[in-house]
Parts: sequence; structure tokens; C-alpha cells
Amino acid sequence: MNAIEATELSKTFRVRRKEKGMKGSLRALLHPETEEIKAVDRISFNVKEGEVLAFIGPNGAGKSTTIKMLTGILYPDGGNVRVLDIDPSKKRKQLAYEIGTVFGQKEQLWVHLTPYDNFQFFGAIYDLSARETEARIRELGEIFELGAFINTPVRSLSLGQRIRCEIVASLIHKPKVLFLDEPTIGLDPVVKESIRSLIKQMNKELGTTIFLTSHDVGDIEKLCKRIIIVNSGRIVLDESMEHLKYHYLNKKIVEAKLQEETLLQAGEGITVLKQKGGHVKFEVDTEKMPISDALRLIGGENVEDINISNIPLENIITEIYKAENIGTT
Amino acid sequence: MRKYAVIYRSVLMENLQYTLNIAMSFISYFIFIFVFINLWNYIYSAPDSLIAGYTREQMIWYVMITEALWFGAPAGTVARQASSDIRSGNIAYLVNKPYHYTLYILARYTGGWSVQLPMFAVLAAVMGTAMVGPLPRFSPLHLLAAIPVVILGLTIDAVFRICISLISFWVEDANPFQWLYSKMMLLIGTIFPVEIFPAALQPVFKLTPIYTVCYGPAKLIVDFSADKYIEIILAQALYLGAAAALMLFLYGKGVRKLHVNGG
Amino acid sequence: MSTAVKHRIRNQLRVCLLAVKFNIMREMLNKVTFLTNVGFMVLNNASFIIQWIILFRLKEDIGGYSMADVMLLWGLAASTFGLSRIFFARAFSLPELIINGKLDAYLVQPKNVLLAVLTSSTNTSAIGDLLYGLLVLCIFCFSPGRLLLFLLFTVTGAVILTAFSLLLGSLSFWFVRADAFGSHMVNSTISFSTYPDGIFKGTARFLIYNLLPVGMAIYRPVHVMMRFDGRTFLAVLGYTVLLSAAAVFVFYRGLRRYSSSNLMEARM
Repeated sequence: MNAIEATELSKTFRVRRKEKGMKGSLRALLHPETEEIKAVDRISFNVKEGEVLAFIGPNGAGKSTTIKMLTGILYPDGGNVRVLDIDPSKKRKQLAYEIGTVFGQKEQLWVHLTPYDNFQFFGAIYDLSARETEARIRELGEIFELGAFINTPVRSLSLGQRIRCEIVASLIHKPKVLFLDEPTIGLDPVVKESIRSLIKQMNKELGTTIFLTSHDVGDIEKLCKRIIIVNSGRIVLDESMEHLKYHYLNKKIVEAKLQEETLLQAGEGITVLKQKGGHVKFEVDTEKMPISDALRLIGGENVEDINISNIPLENIITEIYKAENIGTT
Repeated sequence: MRKYAVIYRSVLMENLQYTLNIAMSFISYFIFIFVFINLWNYIYSAPDSLIAGYTREQMIWYVMITEALWFGAPAGTVARQASSDIRSGNIAYLVNKPYHYTLYILARYTGGWSVQLPMFAVLAAVMGTAMVGPLPRFSPLHLLAAIPVVILGLTIDAVFRICISLISFWVEDANPFQWLYSKMMLLIGTIFPVEIFPAALQPVFKLTPIYTVCYGPAKLIVDFSADKYIEIILAQALYLGAAAALMLFLYGKGVRKLHVNGG
Repeated sequence: MSTAVKHRIRNQLRVCLLAVKFNIMREMLNKVTFLTNVGFMVLNNASFIIQWIILFRLKEDIGGYSMADVMLLWGLAASTFGLSRIFFARAFSLPELIINGKLDAYLVQPKNVLLAVLTSSTNTSAIGDLLYGLLVLCIFCFSPGRLLLFLLFTVTGAVILTAFSLLLGSLSFWFVRADAFGSHMVNSTISFSTYPDGIFKGTARFLIYNLLPVGMAIYRPVHVMMRFDGRTFLAVLGYTVLLSAAAVFVFYRGLRRYSSSNLMEARM
């Protein structure tokens, strides 16, 4: 069963072009020149119920436009969307009861009220009775550990506490799908980590489908089983995380401290990145040379300390963007 | 003095870029005056009657001039900016700049009205000619003679407002005082000439800034006389001297308090 | 009416009232500032009594109004603008939301978008306006029947004024520069509303009874309170409904434009 289905989804914006200076302003007033930008260009994808999907791409790639079309804020001008079998542009209100949204940069809470009062307000918006809301607050309060500050005005909370409250507010009506747009933006690493594990726990316990956009590769790596990368309005990659890693993580970085200096030769499957005294750092392409062979090169008994790591996902994604740009231009 | 000229010029340039917004506030001015034209037309039942010594044309031109001064010289810089600088503690950075803070504010204010006031003057002249009719006994020479009176009047107004803003050194919020001053100028000074009030109150109003700020310039344009001219210029000189002395005194005290208490 | 519909309406009302309550709670966080704002607005309105004392010294009737009539006019104008700015303050700053793409947050809620937007902010000094209106009525021209009419016309006036700002504000869906135009038109309406309509002739009369809503929001109701007239009374009610319907229609047309494209210049 699919929670979200998008087929050939498209959105074109007409942007007015203006030349610089007074002359340009005048000309634009008389003969406005417009230019079409394909913000989203015939993209198709599905999200299964209960799935956690990362939707990522550089700025202006079409992420926000897509999320706006999925939530009914923006109408598509081509293709089809169905969220929980509802067409967002036709039945926006009906859909609103079934989905939750958290926009990391835009706050929906009233900052002078306590989280508790806020939740009661959102409960009223979603037609819950005070008692239903109460029960829900208790349940979510436990998962998100709000106990300590549920009666403190939002304006006195830390950023991390606030975002937790934002998420709870958007879950008050038991949405089946949750849209998270940049939920960890501006948070420090420790808080990020705790938000991630809370989201993960929520997905597991409540079975909520999660559609996540983020710049932060950590969010994606920790949370998502599947990843869609968009660039210039098109999908450039739609893979499971496993698959992505398997295909793109065939390169390992080996960093070792050796007892004696050994001169390492670059060769088939090996690129030396750094070599100084007893310190070596090199990249191994495991498709060309098994990692065990590479280790044999530096000599096991010679190793004082060793660290083998994958190439960071961040670099992989950057690689994918780059490859795509070369392909298109 | 040169640095104040530079501050003045840069605000002038800045304001020139907002001409469109200024033009928009023409609408509000227009409506305001339009209402008054209707009001006085109704009250002057006979076309050549006099009220408090003013003909219908003089009465309406009087309001148009005082309102043009009000709209053309917005008090935001001298009233709000100065007191918010003080309240926010921003003043601590500004006192150490190599200029006198109050003169800096004054130069900014002057740069603001230099652009706006002429625009409102043109608007008022067009509206008056088209909708009210010419002033009796008006001569361009009177207008020319009134220019220094206008400039002095606006400066006196600014200095008083700065004085009120400076109260922020001692009280939490000077806005209520600012408001009272504005209210007095608007209700008593701009919509009616002083002569319209009961005779017992008139000498009192002569002691307030109304006489030199609103009444002086407007009266001299609508009904010029050499005696009045000399009287008003003298009063203005006196007022400016006293107000400036008060401003410098308050500022000096305030800054000393700042240095002692660290803001 | 089916129970489901009744239920929906009740919930919608509950959300609106909660929003207004929370708005006012926010304003009351700083009690001193709150009371000063309210108090100064009352004083501000009261100060205009001076103007009218002077004018009535010059002439006994102004545009067919006595001093008490002008006070009634002032009172109704103040409480009308007060009420509309307590409940629907956002109608007066709608262009800002539209131009900056801030309507998104209201679009993902399952409640009426327009009501959610309108009730999303309040204006403290408006409480002073409303109080002043009621005070004036009680001091200068009280009668129980008049109080009822006054309250009713405060509501219709507030709705008319809100609808007018909403209508003009919605133009921002199409034209970026519409914001300044709209606010000046609303301010003009306010300028007119505190002067007797009898002083306006010709173009001015046309303006206040046709282009600006001040005739139906303020003048006609004042006439009805001075001398009751059933037809005028019904005309005011009819106008309130029609103008609101027009404003709602234009807003939703604009909202469709907002959703189907294309205020991207500002929103990218």
C-alpha cells in the first residue's frame, strides 16, 4: 500500500526578468519579460506506508515545491499526486486531517504560550475533544520527553526543546504521513542526534510514514531506508540506502600509523592520499583490489594503529550532483 | 560643521530613493485637506465672512500649510530614533563617535524634510489653487520672506522633540511625553490658528512652541505683515536659543549619567 | 442543519475564539505596556473633543449634527475600528503575508483558511478604541434601545471595514504595489468617518457613499440611531453581507492564484 504516489509531477514558474538599473525597471514596467523555470519536471515516485524517505537536493532543486504540492499548498500544473489516496489540490482540508507538517524554519507554535496550551490549540484545530487531546499529549509527551518543560512558555525553551514541541504539535491528530522540512536546521550535534532517535522511535511505535527533506546528511543516514535525490527539478537517484552504500561505498579510506616507514606505491585500485613518516592515508577501490590485499601491502605486523572508513555520504551525494551537472550541461 | 553637511547630504540621497513612498502619502494628505475644505466651506456660510479675522481662503490655506509642515517633516528621527538609541543602549557607541550626537540627529532630520517638504509644498500649492482659490493680498515676496521662518520653526520643533527623547536617560519610556507634545501641536497648532481659541487662552499658547513652530510660518504666508514678521523672528531666535541650551544641558547630564552607570 | 455541520461550525468558532484569546494573552504579557496602550488610545480619542468644542462655538450645527451627534459619530467610528482590529487585525496587514509567502502555514490546517488568517493577530490599542466608543455612548447619548443598535452597528461596521481591507489587501495576490494603495484607502475611510456627512457635497458625497464604505459603515447607522428608519437599517445589513461576500470571493480567487502559481519573485 502506498502512502504517497506521484506520477509525472510538474510545476513551472514564470519569473519576471528585470534588467539592472533605472532603465531596466522602466522597461520591465512596460514590457515585462518573463522566463519559465521548471521547478519540478515530470518526477514520479512512491512512498510506502510506514516508510521513512529522505528527499534531498541542493538549494533550488525543487524540494520545497514538491513538498508544497504534496501538502496541497501549491497546485501542480502537470501530472498526478495522491497522498493517502487523496488529491491534495482538490481536497486540501480533508487531507490536512491525515497529515502533519513541520517546517524547520517556520514556527507554528505560539511562543508566549506553554507547549501544553499550544497542543490544546492544535487539538481544537483538528476537532479533538479536550479529553482526547489530553490523552494524546500524555502519550507523545512520553515519547518526546517533554515532561520537564511542558508548562514553560515556548519562548523560554531552547531550540532543541522547541523543535520537539513543533513535532509533537504536528502529531497531535495522529497523522498517517508526516512531512519534515529541514527539521534539524540550526541545531547542535547532540540535539540533532536526540531528535533523530526520537523521530526513529516515533516511526517504529506509531508507524507514521515520514517524508523528510534535509541538507544534513546525518539526518538521512541515521533515519532513512530510502533516498531520493533531486537536482534541477528532476530525480537523479531513487535508491534504497543499502543499495546506495553498496554501489557508492566501494571505496574505503585507510589511515594507518606504521612502526617503520614503508613507501607505498600507487597502483591498480590504490590512490595514495598522504604519506609522511610513519603516517599513510590511501583510498582503496574494493572492486579492483580486495581490502585484504591492500592491508597486506602495508604489512600487518608493522601496523601500530589503523582506521578504515567509508567515504562520507556527504561526499557521495556531492559526487552525484556533480555527475548530474556534467551530464546536463 | 562639514561633517554635519555630509550626514545631511547622505540622508538626502537616501530619501530621494523613496520618492514613490512619499508620493503615496500624498493620498493621506489630500484626503485630510479635502475633508477640511468641506468642513470650512460648510462653516463659512457667507463667502466673504470672517472667522477670528480669517477669510475662508486664509483659513483653509492655513491648515494646508501647517499640515504640509506636519507631513513634510516627519518627526520619526528626532522622536523615535533618538529615544530608542538611548533605551537600547546603542547610544554608548554613538557618543564616542567624533560628532555631537544631538547635532547628528538634527542633521538627519533636516535631510529628511529637505526632500519631502518641497514635494508637499508643491502639492499644497496645486491643491489650494485648484480647490480653494488664491489668497487675498498674497505676494511671492511674502513666501520668500517666510522661508527662514519655516526653517527656524522646523528646527525649534526638532530641538524640543530631541529634548523629550533625552528624557529617556532618566525614565523608562519617553513616548508618552512625546505623544503629549505631538497631540498638543496637532490639535491646537495645526488645525486651528491661535486666534480662534478663547481670548483667555491665547497668551498661554504664545508661550508654547506652537507659536513659533506652526502658527508663525503659516500666519506669515497667509497674512503677512512686517510687524508680525519681526515679532515672530525674534520669538524664534529666543526659543531656539533656549531650546538648544536645554538640549545641550540635558545631553551633557545624560551622558555623564551613562558614564557613571555604564548605560 | 445536520449535526455534522453544526459540529463543524462549533469547532470552527472554538478555534477562532481560542486564537483571539491567545492573541490578547500575548499582548497582556507586559501589563504596564498593555494598559498604557489602551489608556492612551482612550485619551487620544478624547482629545479630539477639543476640536469639536471649538467648531461648535463657531456654528451651532455642523452638517446637520449637534455636539451630541458628533460624539455619537465618533463613538461608533472608534468602536467599529476597535472591534475589527481586535478580532481581525490581520486583514489590515494581509499584503505582507501574501507577498512573503506566509500563507503556507494556514494552508496545511484543516480549518477555514480565511478565518485562520484574519484571527492570527490583534491590536492592543484597538481595545482602547472599543472602550472609548462605549464610554462616549454611555456619557453623551445613552438609551437602552440606542445601546442595542450601537452594538449591532459596531458589529456590522467592523465586518464592513474588515471586508474592505480584505478586498483591497487581496489585490496583492495580483499586484505587488497594492499594499500601500490599500492602506491609504483604509486610512482615508477612517479620516472621513469622524466628520459629519452633511458637510460633504458633490464629489465628496459620491466618494463616501459609493467608493469608500464609510457611508454604510458609519453614517447610515448614525442616521438610524438619530431617527430610526427600517429601510436604511435593512440596507446596512444587506450591504454588510454583500461586501463580505465580494471580499471573500476575491480572497479565494487570489488564494487559487497563490496556490496555482506564482508569486515566485518574492518566494524563491
